[in-house]
Amino acid sequence: MTTHSADLSSGEPSDESVLAKIKALFEAVDPAPPDLAERVRFAVALADLEAEAARLVEEAAFEPALTRGTAEESRTITFDSSELTIMIRIDANADGTVRVDGWLAPPRACRIEVSLRDGALAVEADADGRFAFPSVPRGTVRFVVRPPAQHAQAASDSSGNARMKTVITPALVLLTAW
Amino acid sequence: MEESLASPAGIRATLLDGLIPELTPLLWQVARAAGLGAEDAEDVVQSSWVSLLSHLDTIREPAAITAWLVTTTRREAWKVAASRRKTRPADTERLADIPDPRPSPEDTALLDEEQRAVWDALRTLSPRCQELLRIVAFVPRPDYDAVAVQLSMKRGSIGPNRRRCLDKLEQALRDSSGDS
Repeated sequence: MTTHSADLSSGEPSDESVLAKIKALFEAVDPAPPDLAERVRFAVALADLEAEAARLVEEAAFEPALTRGTAEESRTITFDSSELTIMIRIDANADGTVRVDGWLAPPRACRIEVSLRDGALAVEADADGRFAFPSVPRGTVRFVVRPPAQHAQAASDSSGNARMKTVITPALVLLTAW
Repeated sequence: MEESLASPAGIRATLLDGLIPELTPLLWQVARAAGLGAEDAEDVVQSSWVSLLSHLDTIREPAAITAWLVTTTRREAWKVAASRRKTRPADTERLADIPDPRPSPEDTALLDEEQRAVWDALRTLSPRCQELLRIVAFVPRPDYDAVAVQLSMKRGSIGPNRRRCLDKLEQALRDSSGDS
């Protein structure tokens, strides 16, 4: 009962080879942008979590950090969302990774994730809203601030606020030199 | 390093993480084959994936997901392409900003001999056949039947024409190799 029009695998071998050539042709002349899948993933994650996208409000680079004894600059970035301001400071580590220190305002004991190309690192912010990732690989990252575990809602913290939304920052590129 | 999600939303996201890198290049071709510029194509591809989220519960097999995505992307891309054509003539200033959706002559200048032959043969076909073959070439083989069925049930059936388009292309290729 197979109709040959729908069953390609039993079609002529030349069909397969022609289709493979067509594919190679368009991969050469009009490939999908390399970061499109990554952006789709972000759009999907955002929609799925009903999360809020934070926006970048300020960015500044500073003179070399004296205490670290390296020539690298540090960078601070501020993101804003309706309920939360996220400030991060990025410093280069000697091994090529970066250190990220962050503050949430108002302070909240949240879970912070930094999403990397293949995986995520997660830490908890303390009661003052401070958090730190001692070593993050260079590359494109995104920060995700999640509310304290949903099921532990009873243990409400000092903020006393209703359940907060997950907040996602725009992607940013972590480099050792900028 | 740790896994972050155990919620249903997380499971869905994990599922999509596997499919998104695999199928996004196909959907890009679907959108571009409808004649969309790069930005429109990206928007359409993204919104297809996002609207898949609300349909996931009704789609069970991976092949059906592919078929659903292809159909949705194609329908939306044609809709956007039609609205662009309507607004363009009056909007000459923006016209210059809209990149030519088709591969440009610069793009095709770098083709090797075999690719050039396929490119030239493709261009002798009807726009419909060109679109069809471009899409079909990117559909993962295991999903092909589901995609063909889905597309052939829609208005402007794509399935039955595939054979005809392929035959024409193969004929054009034979003709051109005979010439040389």
